[in-house]
Amino acid sequence: MEEESNPVYKNQAHGQYRELLYSQYADGKFEKKVGYHSESDRVTLQQAWDLFNDRIEEARQKVKAGKASPILYYMEKTLVTPMDLSMHAGIMVWRVKHHLKPRVFKRLGEKTLQKYAVAFNITIDQLKNVD
Amino acid sequence: MEKDNLMIDYKHRQAGHCESGATSNLFNFHGVELSEPMAFGIGNGLYFSYLPFLKLQFAPMMSFRNLPNTVFHRSMKYLDVDATVIKNFKDPKESMTALDRNLEKGIPTGMQVGVFNLTFFPPEYRMHYNMHNLVAYGREGNDYWVSDTVMELPQKISSEDLQRVRYAKGVFAPKGKMYWINTIRKDLDIKSAVEKGIKKTVYEMIKVPFPLIGVKGIHWLAKDLKKWPKKHGNETAAFYLGQIIRMSEDFGTGGAGFRYIYGAFLKEAGEKYNNPDLLTASNMMGNAANRWREFTYMGARNCKNRSKPEEDYGKLSDMLHEIADMEKEVYGKLDKIKI
Repeated sequence: MEEESNPVYKNQAHGQYRELLYSQYADGKFEKKVGYHSESDRVTLQQAWDLFNDRIEEARQKVKAGKASPILYYMEKTLVTPMDLSMHAGIMVWRVKHHLKPRVFKRLGEKTLQKYAVAFNITIDQLKNVD
Repeated sequence: MEKDNLMIDYKHRQAGHCESGATSNLFNFHGVELSEPMAFGIGNGLYFSYLPFLKLQFAPMMSFRNLPNTVFHRSMKYLDVDATVIKNFKDPKESMTALDRNLEKGIPTGMQVGVFNLTFFPPEYRMHYNMHNLVAYGREGNDYWVSDTVMELPQKISSEDLQRVRYAKGVFAPKGKMYWINTIRKDLDIKSAVEKGIKKTVYEMIKVPFPLIGVKGIHWLAKDLKKWPKKHGNETAAFYLGQIIRMSEDFGTGGAGFRYIYGAFLKEAGEKYNNPDLLTASNMMGNAANRWREFTYMGARNCKNRSKPEEDYGKLSDMLHEIADMEKEVYGKLDKIKI
């Protein structure tokens, strides 16, 4: 377990928080200890975020190439599936999937766009333009 | 409307698990000393379920803890404490007014929140997870002071952000759930509560007639784990394995999927009531927890070299079977215990 320093995450937003962990010693005593992520924590979190970032980057390329609508990018960015997004925005799943096509997205009305914008916590302008 | 500042004298203590920590802190506020493991044990925090047909962040869902609000609800029921739980508010504004009213009365109030938009939460943990708990205990202008027990220090959050996380959407949506303690009797019967808590946990871990819950669920997971590399390829298998480790070791578990906290609970209860059987059970639980931790260390090595696994998945699966047997022994022992 890590003690005081946390060299892997130095100067990064990740891994700057200490958590409380329990452990047991040989004499059967349980003890609380405050520390940074353990090795296995770090590896698996890194693995998850690598995957998420890959998916976000892939979605961004797709949107830039005009193969998908910006909804796909923001969907990956907020780590949701169409199923979750339909719950967040209150739009049916098949409609969400339909809106992933750029051709359909262009025709969307203000009202629907507003629903997506609220779900993603951004403005409509941001929703239309992927940086 | 200008609201005046107010601050309740509430002591924030860091804890391993968010909800049992909040419960224990609320008890302390009302003048009853109840440690976090005790709250966790009495409120049946320990659980296991494996739900492969549901996906959480692109991997099969499994849970090492009970449903949200079980710990608070059950510990209140078993200890016979006068507490209020408001399950949902239709109007978000109304829920914030209710919170203000409580704070003005001097009642620290617990809330269920979603983690994704929680501003002070560590960025690496901000996934869609709606089973987190906070206790609000003060207000300063437009900001609220909240005690999040997995963080080291109390945190400040603005009113808009708090409303957003209280109405996070998705699976297990909080819908503005609030809970607080009204009064606590002087003659609390902790002993019988401990007994009831242990009985319920034993029931949930070995006696539920459904194969995906409890010890049977761990066996099922072990069987599936063996098949993953062939079925999904090494990359995905490593990611799924990572999910097991994330769920068991991440923020708010106290390590090894809550098994250490439960062991500490058995130990404390055993010392309090001079029960050698409970102490033995606590040692066995500790051993199982140590085995869980070994499993996560070995599994993490596989996650590091994803395309070329260092450890055999069959070996990891055997280890999980062994852990399940170890745990089953503990619950079998606890089943016969009389306090």
